[in-house]
Amino acid sequence: MTELAAHTEAHDEHDHHPTEGQYWLVFVALVVLTAIEVAWSFIGLEGVALVAPLIVMMILKFFLVAGAFMHLYFDLKILNGRLFSWAFFGALLLAIGVYFVVFAAFRWEI
Amino acid sequence: MTDVAVPAEVVAGHDAHDDGHHTSLGLSNTKLAMWLFLGSECLLFGALISTYLLSTANFIGEVVAGNPTVLATIPEALAEEFAAEGSVSPIFDIPFTSASSFILLMSSLTMVLAHKAISEGNYKNLRIFLATTAALGASFIAGQVYEFTVFFREGITYDGNLFGSAFFTLTGFHGVHVTGGILMLISLLIVSFRGKLQQDRAETVEIVGLYWHFVDIVWVLIFTIVYLIP
Repeated sequence: MTELAAHTEAHDEHDHHPTEGQYWLVFVALVVLTAIEVAWSFIGLEGVALVAPLIVMMILKFFLVAGAFMHLYFDLKILNGRLFSWAFFGALLLAIGVYFVVFAAFRWEI
Repeated sequence: MTDVAVPAEVVAGHDAHDDGHHTSLGLSNTKLAMWLFLGSECLLFGALISTYLLSTANFIGEVVAGNPTVLATIPEALAEEFAAEGSVSPIFDIPFTSASSFILLMSSLTMVLAHKAISEGNYKNLRIFLATTAALGASFIAGQVYEFTVFFREGITYDGNLFGSAFFTLTGFHGVHVTGGILMLISLLIVSFRGKLQQDRAETVEIVGLYWHFVDIVWVLIFTIVYLIP
């Protein structure tokens, strides 16, 4: 692929950023998830029943903001199939893995 | 000097995005630099959140065990509430913090709308949304100052115990980041009023937006991990 063709492709992908309506939809989803999170924390559940859904909703909110508002979903589409996208996900998985291993090690001592 | 013929498409491409999309990654260098910076910020906040979790677990363990040295760092009534709950939850005002979270989520929406406005050449909306985002950020900071004041009056101080130190460090660092974002937004507003923030500089707004959304994401994590999970 020539440099000009790659450039044109990048432009095409940039034109596919969300519409204003989609941004509002993401915002409503974030507010609803936050409301459910708060309500869930007041129900009176304990342990995994309390924490697991909260973590899942937190991760959903994380990906909604990163994917739609930060255009990560669209930018990664531009990088799709290239070395950088693999490097990005590889580094992300490695970081999460190291984080949990270190956290578990500290937790062990407490 | 020899004249070099430049293809019309290349010139048009430069006019539309003069801040460098011609990289082998498909991203401009400035945008990639912001992503790398945000990557380093992930490490910073990852460390701060881990420190908070470990410090608070240690603190609560000592309170429940009745360690007199730790109990001496907080008022007796608060110590009894912490011990009864087995967590520091009683000190948090969840409805108030939920309102703060809503304000920050709303500011992320106005930030993307500001980027959309400049992409479409709508400078009036750009200024309205930039100013709204900065105002919402300032409201969030005002809420944080109020919360810190309440904590201080309740007897939780920065140097009193592990929980206080970790909590104020984590949320304080986040607050400093929000303040930095507000300064960036005000700078963009000033540049826009001077007529130097045109449609071809839309990526500048997008890059400031990346920083702002990152700060929002960090709050999403802090809100759940610190405030909602006991």
